[in-house]
Amino acid sequence: MTETILKRWDNELVIAGIAVLLLLPLFGMPPKTYLTLTIAGLAMGMLLFLVASGVSIILGLMDVLNFAHGALFAWGAYVGFSTFKLLEKWVQADSVLLNFGAFAAAIICAMTVVAVLGMVLERVIVRRVYGNHLFQILITFGATIVLVEMIRVIWGPNDDVMSVPLTFQGNWDVFDVIIDRYRIICILIGALVFGAVQLILKKTKLGLIVRAGVENRDMVQAMGHNIFLLFTGVFAVGAGLAALGGLAMSIFSLQVYPDMGSTYLLFAFIVVIIGGLGSVTGSLVGALIVGLSYNYVAYLVPWAAAGVNIIIMIIILLIRPKGLFTAGK
Amino acid sequence: MLRREQRKKRYYSIGFVLPCLVLALFVLIPFLGPSYKTLDLALKIIIFASLVASFDIMLGYTGILSFGHGMFFGIGAYCVAFLNGKYGDPTYFHLFLGLLLAVAVACVLALIVSLISLRVKAIFFAMITLALAELTIVLANKLSHFTGGEDGISISLPGIFSAAFSPGSFLGLDISGRVITYYFILLACLGLFALMLRFTHSPLGRVLQAIRDNTDRAEALGYKTFYFQTLSIVLGCTVAAMTGGLYAMWVGYVNPESTLEVMAIMLNVLLMVIIGGMGTLYGGIVGAAFLLITQTFLPDLQKLAIDLFPNASLLHTILERWLLLFGILFILVVIFFPKGVVGSAREFIARARGEAFFSS
Repeated sequence: MTETILKRWDNELVIAGIAVLLLLPLFGMPPKTYLTLTIAGLAMGMLLFLVASGVSIILGLMDVLNFAHGALFAWGAYVGFSTFKLLEKWVQADSVLLNFGAFAAAIICAMTVVAVLGMVLERVIVRRVYGNHLFQILITFGATIVLVEMIRVIWGPNDDVMSVPLTFQGNWDVFDVIIDRYRIICILIGALVFGAVQLILKKTKLGLIVRAGVENRDMVQAMGHNIFLLFTGVFAVGAGLAALGGLAMSIFSLQVYPDMGSTYLLFAFIVVIIGGLGSVTGSLVGALIVGLSYNYVAYLVPWAAAGVNIIIMIIILLIRPKGLFTAGK
Repeated sequence: MLRREQRKKRYYSIGFVLPCLVLALFVLIPFLGPSYKTLDLALKIIIFASLVASFDIMLGYTGILSFGHGMFFGIGAYCVAFLNGKYGDPTYFHLFLGLLLAVAVACVLALIVSLISLRVKAIFFAMITLALAELTIVLANKLSHFTGGEDGISISLPGIFSAAFSPGSFLGLDISGRVITYYFILLACLGLFALMLRFTHSPLGRVLQAIRDNTDRAEALGYKTFYFQTLSIVLGCTVAAMTGGLYAMWVGYVNPESTLEVMAIMLNVLLMVIIGGMGTLYGGIVGAAFLLITQTFLPDLQKLAIDLFPNASLLHTILERWLLLFGILFILVVIFFPKGVVGSAREFIARARGEAFFSS
């Protein structure tokens, strides 16, 4: 009896357990600080979700651990950086419309350029080594080197300051709780992307094929679907999401640097392991766990912030080795 | 029977003589080019060849990719540095203890990591080691009262290894502490290399190769793949920690940047193992020699390019970003010569021989 309940409400139980755990820090700090930290954590989690979802779907569907995702992330940031430079007047203007115009232009440019880059990467390099795990990791690692070095050749090897649209700066003060404006935008972007991806996966035929592919690739191919075309498409979408994540993160952290991908790729791996391979919901929950716990711990015990995610990852691996959520959900 | 023996003889002729020649070269290097630069280059080739070989045990012989190999290298270096720099006087006993500590720490850590990650998927090993390696760098930087932070720790070596030691000259070569250290490290690495060769050519090594080629089948044959993989990981990581300790002896200091910088060391190791050839062990020597020699002479090449083509600014940019060229080379080798230099050479020789055999 209990076993069936546990099985039927499996995912809901997981979410409830996480919610309880994330409320715990409330005992250690004033509620207002908790709210501010929660918003910061949610924003960080949403940005991580953008990167991790691509890694997760590519890993789930194509069985490719894409190391080049971090480099694509950095490319997104740099393309956005250049777009902002081109549209400097829009970025500096004190008008919500122009600011959002510049932001939208940067998003479109970054996502298009990087999606094309991802497609080229998949077609030229990754496709040659399908079916061989080791070589896939190796070859995407090689691609990372090349992509990062190309950033250094094109944009120069040094850090750059990312400009932020004027209306994105500053805070709102809601009942004495200080809320950073840009964080709210990040949360909105993340929620929108999650909604869109879920809608496509759950409600369209394409999504159905992708979900089926995560569960059993050979069977989908046997049904007569061109799985390689699907791979290219998914790779491109994953790359585009990474670019969006890179752009949003660079505005968040106010800087761009060629190596920026490696740090966030690491976070993305942790998120994917926590959430479960090939699960979009898992990526979201994993990313939120990582973002929130990082912010809480950085406030409560600053020196432990770097290790907390790895400890969470190890605990989850020990009690639920396949991650919180099962693939394809 | 006769033909078989002939082939065996031939196999021994190349597979045995060539490594001996290389070893002889490394033994003679202090006599051939006694400048510090040559000695340093030769020693780095020796260290990295052993490090790459230990990585190859995991990658080429067991099919497990670790991104934490740089971390184990760094842990070894720090263990030696702690006992001979920060927390102890330089004595032979402390040096020995430092290397022993390196082995112990690496063993335990490798065991824990493989127990956690191999339960799920071998791919997790790559991700978890990457995360742990990053954490180690952060810890080494943050716990500065313990690890010396970004400044690192400088090491002094005992007795005959110290730079000041000079008993005289031999065959025109000034025997100094450096030269003795060089020979000591050469001997240690030779021992490690022999150990790894023995390991991979033992029945145990064959099982590992079977697991690499077909995990399910190896399991069906009754081998507990998990134990074998763990064993291979522990051996690879332990040897990496040893080479790290030896490296620290040579350079005389450790800091997070030089010994723990995961990406830099991992990048070098991966390039070396891929170019040299996975699953060959000897490939490490070729890869390390190629990469380190190129890196050493790259500034000269850049100068040459500026002298010869003063206007080709694109060429200069690309030569400045030499890693780009290595990255492209890396991808090309993975696609077209997945066996690397040594593997391809072996295949070529075998094929040439097979044809000669059939035509005669």
